Amino acid sequence: MSASTPKTLSSSGQKPIQEICHPLSAAEEAVVRTPSPDVANNTASIEDKDLSLPNGTPVDTSSPASSSSLLNRLQLDDDLDGETRDLFVTVDDPKKHVSTMETYITYRVSTKTSRVEFDLPEYSVRRRYQDFDWLRIKLEETQPTHLIPPLPEKFVVKGVVDRFSEEFVETRRRALDKFLKRVADHPVLSFNEHLNAFLSSKDLNKRAGLALLTKVGEGVKLVTGGYKLRLRPLEFAAMGEYLDTFTGKLGTIDRIAQRIIKEQTEYLAELREYGPVYGSWAGVEAGNRDNNAAVGVEEDRNHSSSGHHSNGNGLQAPLEGVAGGVASVAAAMEELTEDMSQDFLPVLREYVLYIDSMKNVLKKRDQVQAEYEAKLEAAALRREERTTVPSDVEKCQDRVECFNADLKADWERWQNNKRQDFRQLLTNMADSNITYYQKCLAAWESIIPLLQERPADSFGRGQDKVI
Amino acid sequence: MADAEREDAAETDTPNSSDAKEKNVISSMSDESGTLLRRMEITVAEAEKRTGKKAVNMQETYTVYLIETRPSAAVNGGQSVAPDALWRRYSEFELLRNYLIVTYPYIVVPPLPEKRAEFVWHKLSADNMDPDFVERRRVGLENFLLRVASHPVMSNDAILYHFLTKERGWKEVVYDTGFQAKADSRIRALNATFRVKNPDKRFMEMKHYSDELQSITSQLLRARARVADRLYGVYKVHGNYGRVFSEWSAIEKEMGDGLQSAGHHMDAYAASIDDILEEEEHYADQIKEYLFFAEALRAVCRKHELSQYELETASLDLTSKRQQREELATGIVRTFSFKGMTTKLFGQETAEQREARLKMLEEQIVEGDDTVKEKTSECEDIVSSGWEDMQRFKEQKDRDLREALINYAYMQISMCKKGIQVWTNAKECFSKM
Repeated sequence: MSASTPKTLSSSGQKPIQEICHPLSAAEEAVVRTPSPDVANNTASIEDKDLSLPNGTPVDTSSPASSSSLLNRLQLDDDLDGETRDLFVTVDDPKKHVSTMETYITYRVSTKTSRVEFDLPEYSVRRRYQDFDWLRIKLEETQPTHLIPPLPEKFVVKGVVDRFSEEFVETRRRALDKFLKRVADHPVLSFNEHLNAFLSSKDLNKRAGLALLTKVGEGVKLVTGGYKLRLRPLEFAAMGEYLDTFTGKLGTIDRIAQRIIKEQTEYLAELREYGPVYGSWAGVEAGNRDNNAAVGVEEDRNHSSSGHHSNGNGLQAPLEGVAGGVASVAAAMEELTEDMSQDFLPVLREYVLYIDSMKNVLKKRDQVQAEYEAKLEAAALRREERTTVPSDVEKCQDRVECFNADLKADWERWQNNKRQDFRQLLTNMADSNITYYQKCLAAWESIIPLLQERPADSFGRGQDKVI
Repeated sequence: MADAEREDAAETDTPNSSDAKEKNVISSMSDESGTLLRRMEITVAEAEKRTGKKAVNMQETYTVYLIETRPSAAVNGGQSVAPDALWRRYSEFELLRNYLIVTYPYIVVPPLPEKRAEFVWHKLSADNMDPDFVERRRVGLENFLLRVASHPVMSNDAILYHFLTKERGWKEVVYDTGFQAKADSRIRALNATFRVKNPDKRFMEMKHYSDELQSITSQLLRARARVADRLYGVYKVHGNYGRVFSEWSAIEKEMGDGLQSAGHHMDAYAASIDDILEEEEHYADQIKEYLFFAEALRAVCRKHELSQYELETASLDLTSKRQQREELATGIVRTFSFKGMTTKLFGQETAEQREARLKMLEEQIVEGDDTVKEKTSECEDIVSSGWEDMQRFKEQKDRDLREALINYAYMQISMCKKGIQVWTNAKECFSKM
C-alpha cells in the first residue's frame, strides 16, 4: 500500500492510484484515444497529418502558430489518457492591497471542478504569495515522496526591482499559475487536502489547515539525518547525473540569453543614434534647396539627360525613409528584448528551481533507503532471535518501494512536462525572433516605394525602377 | 589602328608651354557623347602585391592595380578584342588626380578611395594589405576612372588617356606639364585666409552645403560602424546556442534530435553576419565617396573665392594707381599718402622726377588694366563653368545617393528574410522536440 494514501476514492469514476496508467513508465507511448498524432514519436511534419480536435472539429493547420498550439492542447489531453480533466485552476487578476501594516498583492484563484471532493463546482478566492508558499510547504510535508513543483522566488534579490511593477507582478502571476496548474494536473497532489482548502476556503486559516493535517494523519514523518546511503541504485544515480548535467546546461543557456539581451540592448542604443543622422541629413538637403531658392537659383526640374526624373531635391524623401526604417527596427528590437527578458529568462530560472526540488526528492529517497538498510542490517544481526522479518523493517521496505515507485512515476511525468515546457519555451523564442524580423521586413518594404517615388507619381507605381 | 592614331596624338601633344590646359584638351567640352567612356571600356581588373626598392636601399611592399582598356563595342563593331593592360599603383592615381585638380580648377574632381581604412568597426582590419580592403580599393579606383572618363570636360584630357594606355614615361609627361608649380602656388593661396568682398552668393551657399555634407556623412559613417559592431556581437553570441544545444542533446532522448538540428541553424545564423556586413561595407564606401566629394566641391568654391579675391585686389590696386596718377597730374591730394606727407615735409620733387613717376604709373595702370581684364574673365569662367559643373555634380549626387539608399533598404530586406528563414527552420526543429 502506498505510504501516503489519498482519501479513498469514491465512485466518481477515478481509479485507485495503482491502476491509473500514467503516460509515465514507458514514457514513449501516450495512450491516446483521440485521432491525434502520436506526439512522442512524431517525426513527420505536422502538415502531413489530418488533424482534428478531440471532439471531432477539424483544425486549420495552415499557420505554424495554430499547429503548435494544437500540439499543446493535444499534449495536455495525452497526459490524462484522453480522460476529461475535471479540475481547472487559474491564477489572474493581481490587485494591490494597502493596509496600515503592509502593502501586498493578491491574486484571484479560480477553480472549476466536477470532483466530489469539492463541495461546489466553482470557486473564486483571493490569495497572496504567502498562501502559495504555505501550500507548497504543506504539500512537501504531506507528500514527501512526490516532486512538488517550484514557486517563483520569494525574495527579489537582483538590483532594485520594484515589487509592484507591472512586469514583476505579471511574471510572478504566470509562475504562480503554472505552479497551481502543475499541482492540479498531478494525479496524486491534486487530491491533497491542503490544495482543496487552498482552492476553496474563503479565509485560509492556516491553523485550521494544521488541524486538518493531523486529522487525516498518515503524514509520514521522515527521519532525516542519521542515515547515510551507501550506494544509490543505478537508475536513481542516473537521474542525479542527468539533473546535474542539465542544471549546467540551463545555466549556460541562461548566461547566453542574458548576453544576447545585453548585446541587443547596446545595438538598440546605437540604432537610436544612427537613425536620426539620416533625418538631419534630410534637413541639410532641404536647407540647401531652400538656400538655392533664396539666391534665385532655378531648379532644373526636367533635366533628364539620362532619362531619370529627379525632383528638385531628390534626397530628402529617401533619407527620411531610411531614418524611418531604422527607427522601426529599433522599436521592434526593443520589443524583442522585452519579450526575452519577461518570458524566456523567468521560465528558464524556474526550471532550475524545479531541478533543485527534484534533487531534494532524490535525497529524501536516499534517506528512506538508508534507514531501511540500516534497520535491515540491525535486524540481520539479531536473526538468531526471530524467524520472520520484524514488522518495522517490513514497513521500511514498503516505504522504500513506494517512494521508488512514486519517484519513478513522477520522474517520467517530469521528463515529459520538461520536454513540453522547453518545446514551448524555445518555440516561443523562435516566434519572437520571427516576429521581430517580420516587423523590420514590413518597415523596409514599405519605404521602397517612397525611395523610388518620382514627384509626380502617386502611390502604387514605385516598382518601375528595379534593382 | 585607331588606337595607335590616338596614341600618337597624345604623344605629340606633350606640351612645353605654361598654359597646360589648352594643349591637353583634345576637343572642347560639354559633349557627353564624345566622352572617353563611350569609346573605350575601362576596368581595374586586378590587384597584386609587389616588393621593390625604395630610396636608401629599403624594401617596401606595395600593391599595384591592373588597368585594362579596350575599344567599346560601339567602336569595334561588336568584335571582342583582347584588352590592353598596364599596372599602376595608388600613388600614380594620386598624381593623376592632383594634375586634374590643378588643370580643371572649376570642376568637382571625383575623389579617390581612401588611402587608409577609416571608420572601421572592430572586426575589419585597418591594414592596407588586408585582401578585403584591397578589393574595395580596386572597386574605388575603377569607379574613379569611370567617373573621370565620363566627364564631359575631363574625359578629353590627353594626360588621362596616357595614364590609361601607356605604362612607361607617364610620370615624366605629367611633370612636364608644369602643373606642379601651379599646384604649389594654388595650395599656398587656398590655405591663406583672405576676405572676399563680393563673392558669388550661390558659391557661398554651396560652400556652406559642402561643409554640412562633409560633417553629416562622417557622422553617419561613424554611427554606422558602431551599429555594425553591435550587430556583429548579437549574431555571434547566438552561435553559443549551437554549442550548448549540441551538448544538451547528448543527455536527452526524444529531445536530442530536435535540439541538435536547431543548434546547427543557430550556427548558420551566427555565421551569416559576415556576408551581411561585408555587403554593407560597399554601401559605406558609397557614402564615403560623397564625403570626399564634398571636399572637392568645397575646393571649387574656394577657388572661386580666390579668383574673386585676386580680381578685387587687382581692381583696388588699379583704382589706387589711377588715383595716384590723378593726384600727380593735378597736384590735388585727395587722400592721405605717404608720398604726399614726405613731399610736404621735405619739399616738392623736381619736374623730371614727377614726369618719371607719372610715366611709371601709366605703365602700371596699363598692366593693371590687363590684369583686371584677365582676372575678370577668369572669374567669370570659373563662375559659369564652375556653376555648371556643380549643377551636374548635384544631379549626379542625388542620383547616386538615392540609388545607394535604395540598395541599403534592399540589403536590410534581404537580411530580414534570411533571419525569418533561419528562425523558422529552428522553430521547426524545436517543434519536433
